[in-house]
Amino acid sequence: MANTASAVGTAATGSGGAGAGTSGSTGSGSTGNAAGTGGTFAGDVVQTRFGPVQVQITVSGGTISDVTALQLTDDGGRSVQISNYAAPLLREEVLQAQSANVQTISGATVTSDAYLTSLQAALDAAHL
Amino acid sequence: MQPTSELGRPELKARTFRSMGTVVSLTVPVGPEGWTADAEATLAAAAGAVERRFQELDIRFSLYRPGSEASRLARGELPLWEASPEFRECYAEAAEWRLQTEGAFTPERPDGLPDLSGLVKGFAIKEAAALLQSRGLSHWCLNAGGDVLVAGSPVAGSPASWQAGIVDPLDRTALIAAYPLGGCTGGSPGLRALATSGSAERGDHIWTQGAGGSEFRQVSVAAADIITADVLATAIVAGGASMLNRATDVWDVDVFAVLNDGGILATPGFRA
Repeated sequence: MANTASAVGTAATGSGGAGAGTSGSTGSGSTGNAAGTGGTFAGDVVQTRFGPVQVQITVSGGTISDVTALQLTDDGGRSVQISNYAAPLLREEVLQAQSANVQTISGATVTSDAYLTSLQAALDAAHL
Repeated sequence: MQPTSELGRPELKARTFRSMGTVVSLTVPVGPEGWTADAEATLAAAAGAVERRFQELDIRFSLYRPGSEASRLARGELPLWEASPEFRECYAEAAEWRLQTEGAFTPERPDGLPDLSGLVKGFAIKEAAALLQSRGLSHWCLNAGGDVLVAGSPVAGSPASWQAGIVDPLDRTALIAAYPLGGCTGGSPGLRALATSGSAERGDHIWTQGAGGSEFRQVSVAAADIITADVLATAIVAGGASMLNRATDVWDVDVFAVLNDGGILATPGFRA
């Protein structure tokens, strides 16, 4: 059962839509074991780039009635956004950088001439 | 991610050279034994090898050199099937990316001529990485005109990431964001490549889909490899929000996009 719950959890997490995960998993065999009984089942903890992820499903009457996130925090205990969707951010919500504490700089292609006055040129000069 | 600042400012050494119309920087950490003559010679030799590879590829792929393979192809003097294996490999990879990005990235100009300039810098960085690895260098940062690939850490032997800054497209003397590249925190290595494309840059050959211009002024993509980062940054500038959503759905990437009005769209990896 743990495997089933884990698979269900992964599907529901990956799709980001509880509807798709629920209908898919109902047909895939949870009815056989859980029909008429119900209960809650915790999936395995899955390591992702965003931190450990674990979900719990609630089964009643042979169908999944709820999917809950049990563990959605990163190493620092902050909550984790599972979806990698690009969302609007304010400038102050972004990881901040100053040229004094970065080792390299990414920007749209600079020409050799533009390089001379670029922040990367200043970093390189400091490391010659 | 462990901030580099906790380890003190890393001591680095860099070499630069000009190629492909821009400047390439190779940066390595100074080891615990200090900056020895051996270390100096190793860096100089590595930078020399990387420079030679860049120049070879530039001679073959540059449309600014009348005698290059790319120019002969563009003038119709050389059919694609008679081009060098390297050229055809690069073209095949670009064509595959056109499929993967549903046309947002393309190896052809609007007039139908092959144009691999969107891929060749990433290709050169990837080749340079293999050269550096074969020379036994495990900690380095290679920056070619703002496209970055790293290995290891800026503090040799530590798990710290290389901190990359992203240029603010509205003020090129300022940084708008940071991103930790490489390193190995929490037992899992970070993404190693970061590429940025702009819609207003001279030399960026980006043809937007549809009649209007790009809705993004600048797009940065972090990925496991530099070609994916470079191609997707270009594709998102050309393909807009739908390509952005496709990129974050299909590939393991972080994206930081600056809209024309200065607004920001970013994946969680860029959140403070």
